[in-house]
Amino acid sequence: MAVAAFSPEWAQAFKDEINKSPVYRDAGKGWKWTVGLVVEAEPDKNFPDSRGVVMDLFEGEARDIRVGTAEDAQACDIVISGTYSRWKQVATKELDATRGMLQGKLKLKGDLPTVVRYTKASQEMTECTTRVAVIWPDE
Amino acid sequence: MHDPRGGHLARRVNGPGPVEYADGDEASAFAQMLGGLIEANVTGRPEKRKDFDGLKARVGIFVTDIGEGVTLEFGGGHLVVRNGLQPGRDVTIRADADTVMQLSNVRIGFAGMPNYFDATGRQVAGRMLKGQLKIEGLVGNLTTLNQVTRVFSVAE
Repeated sequence: MAVAAFSPEWAQAFKDEINKSPVYRDAGKGWKWTVGLVVEAEPDKNFPDSRGVVMDLFEGEARDIRVGTAEDAQACDIVISGTYSRWKQVATKELDATRGMLQGKLKLKGDLPTVVRYTKASQEMTECTTRVAVIWPDE
Repeated sequence: MHDPRGGHLARRVNGPGPVEYADGDEASAFAQMLGGLIEANVTGRPEKRKDFDGLKARVGIFVTDIGEGVTLEFGGGHLVVRNGLQPGRDVTIRADADTVMQLSNVRIGFAGMPNYFDATGRQVAGRMLKGQLKIEGLVGNLTTLNQVTRVFSVAE
């Protein structure tokens, strides 16, 4: 069943996909930092308010993923920010998250060596987002 | 891109720190990411600082799938990061984004040599054999390349 983009239902489905992934379970071993995704508002895309996705990831498991405010996400150890359209591109495989960060399409704040060390885990997390059927507000 | 004003890597874009950006506020996201990575490594890990302090070379890195490059000018304890590939490089690495990320995960093994025998190392070596990773200027600069790999590596 498709869920509304960046809604609590989407967060639950995303968490379930991560926890179903043996690749993430292996690649995320040792990870113990919170991750915040800031989804910046784009009113012209019918996404009027910024939202934050707060991810409690620990040792290859998603313990909790919830949708809150952008400020909630910005309080996390690692923060990745982008517009609604950029995140939609990531979730639909139009934009690789690593390339997006290298190009400045997604902005990263936090301890860079830690993020780079877990590139495989972040790539698998991106794969997990693509497995969630989403209703996009601009479609 | 890495935000130079945030997180554990807060630093000046241009200033007395170990890493300087020749293009200032116009430094590309890739330049800031590489510079941020190296700065975090050399300030957080003393063994890398020693390599950084002894490294004098001009190294280019070009990411083929985003069409962007940077030039890293290591000046013995100081690094200037420039947008684009600049002339006079000793070594130039050309690879896609995934491979560049893998390069930074190469472990350092016996006698400070990059370990190309574990899973990550074998993948990197395999990409080199397939031509997905090209290193220009390798002959005569192997020591430099090893030093750069050590400074660049985030593997523990």
